[in-house]
Amino acid sequence: MGHLAELLLIGIGAALIHNFVLYYFVGLCPFMGVSKKIDMALGMGLAVTFVIAIASTLSWALTYYVLRPGAPVSTWAWSLVSGGAGEVDLTVLAYLVYIFAIASSVQFVEMYLRKYFPPLYKSFGIYLPLITTNCAILFACLEIMKNVVGVDAVAIWGLDKALMLSVGGGLGFTLAIVIMAGIREELELADTPRPMQGPPIAFIIAGILALAFMGFAGVDTALGKLMLGGS
Amino acid sequence: MSAVTLTVLLAAAVLLGLAVVMSIVLGVANKAFHVPVDLRLEKVSAVLPGANCGACDYVGCGEYAEAVVMKGEVIDKCPVGGTGVARQVGEIMGMTVEEGFPVRPIVHCIATTSQRLKRTAYHGEQTCNAANLVGGIQGCVYGCLGLGDCVVVCDYDAIHMIDGVAVIDYVKCIGCGACVKACPRTIISQVPFKADRILAVQCANKDFGKEVQEVCEVGCTGCKSCARANPELISIVDNLPVIDYKRYDPKASLQVIQDKCRRESMVWIGKPTPRQLELTEGEAMPVRQEAEFKTTVDQTEWRG
Repeated sequence: MGHLAELLLIGIGAALIHNFVLYYFVGLCPFMGVSKKIDMALGMGLAVTFVIAIASTLSWALTYYVLRPGAPVSTWAWSLVSGGAGEVDLTVLAYLVYIFAIASSVQFVEMYLRKYFPPLYKSFGIYLPLITTNCAILFACLEIMKNVVGVDAVAIWGLDKALMLSVGGGLGFTLAIVIMAGIREELELADTPRPMQGPPIAFIIAGILALAFMGFAGVDTALGKLMLGGS
Repeated sequence: MSAVTLTVLLAAAVLLGLAVVMSIVLGVANKAFHVPVDLRLEKVSAVLPGANCGACDYVGCGEYAEAVVMKGEVIDKCPVGGTGVARQVGEIMGMTVEEGFPVRPIVHCIATTSQRLKRTAYHGEQTCNAANLVGGIQGCVYGCLGLGDCVVVCDYDAIHMIDGVAVIDYVKCIGCGACVKACPRTIISQVPFKADRILAVQCANKDFGKEVQEVCEVGCTGCKSCARANPELISIVDNLPVIDYKRYDPKASLQVIQDKCRRESMVWIGKPTPRQLELTEGEAMPVRQEAEFKTTVDQTEWRG
């Protein structure tokens, strides 16, 4: 119960309470750029969710097995070169390695889609390569790193928690961008003052949406108390 | 070696290893998920004009090329390129093209502001689209309004308001048809130009005789003289002569048709003749002023 509840909390937390876009303000470029039509926003959101899951799996594995101090691979390599036991900390490489993992997984996904799902590939169009530089994905990887590196051995996140955070975050991103697209579609019909048309009103709406999502703050503590029995 | 050097070397090795693994994975994936691309696609794209005007009903030249190669779309849909391009595309696709001609627009009105009678002052929004909703702006309800919606939509600087009537510059015009769609009175139509200069009916007034004379100094009264001069080519529909451009033969002597016209509706239009060029040769061309910045949002002009 305890573990499942924790997973659920991480997922809900990433999707709603600490929404990537509306709480941390990452991934704003697609949030503004691709939120004009609901179907396109949904496609972008799902593409991000898909890529974020793959990239965070990869980066979790790399962090856990290679980068963190005391990781099996680096410890083994260290004993090989220095001839003695000891830990080596390679976390300085985190950003490089994550971008590397994200870029190549996006490439891989793109090739796979092009071969087996041409219509999906066509509808993603330019957005799939654009995801490579989407900060929401790097942000998810770094959030995972925070919970793998520099914490007590018992508190280190497993792959399940890492995936929960990233998929939750991806779905939260999808939710935010679809809501935004819905509002902007309606806005097309509204009599917006000329200087406010287009991006300005979109930014104001994003701000109001972020304020609205602040209403979720504290829900995680309450939920945690409920599910974990007052911890 | 010191611990620091070793750490740095280890870091480099990790990155190198990652790079090697990723390139192998991606390389294998590239082979495994290889999608054959039709070589003709590139060739067809290279032959098309690349104006991306959308006159073929596709988003741009690339999409049209794709449709031609993949879906077997007809190869002569590009009005900009005309027969030349269609023939080249046909060569690539292994098809032959029948003779075709570049399609260019004709403005079916020739009356300048002073020739259009019974005009009322109009101070509303200065676009034809808005003015067309208001009754009684000018006597002729068919003719050009002269506010230049077609000028605004033309991306090629090929249509201008001269003395209050739209005049097409056939040297610059590429035949994309944007002006045809923009005209609220639908007095611009696309026709195949079988020669550099062709005969055209430049009037859209469907009324007869005196009713036309009351509202226009030059418009067609529907007297049918032209149709009598060449009944095979010209038929009268709604008091207006209609030239059947399918039967139009640029080599036949058509001057007689124009001579028969008692008004000024039967006109030779097209690229300037050598004689016209000679006449204007010495004249200084106005220096074209480029706008310093362009806004794509706001097309209304400020006329305070």
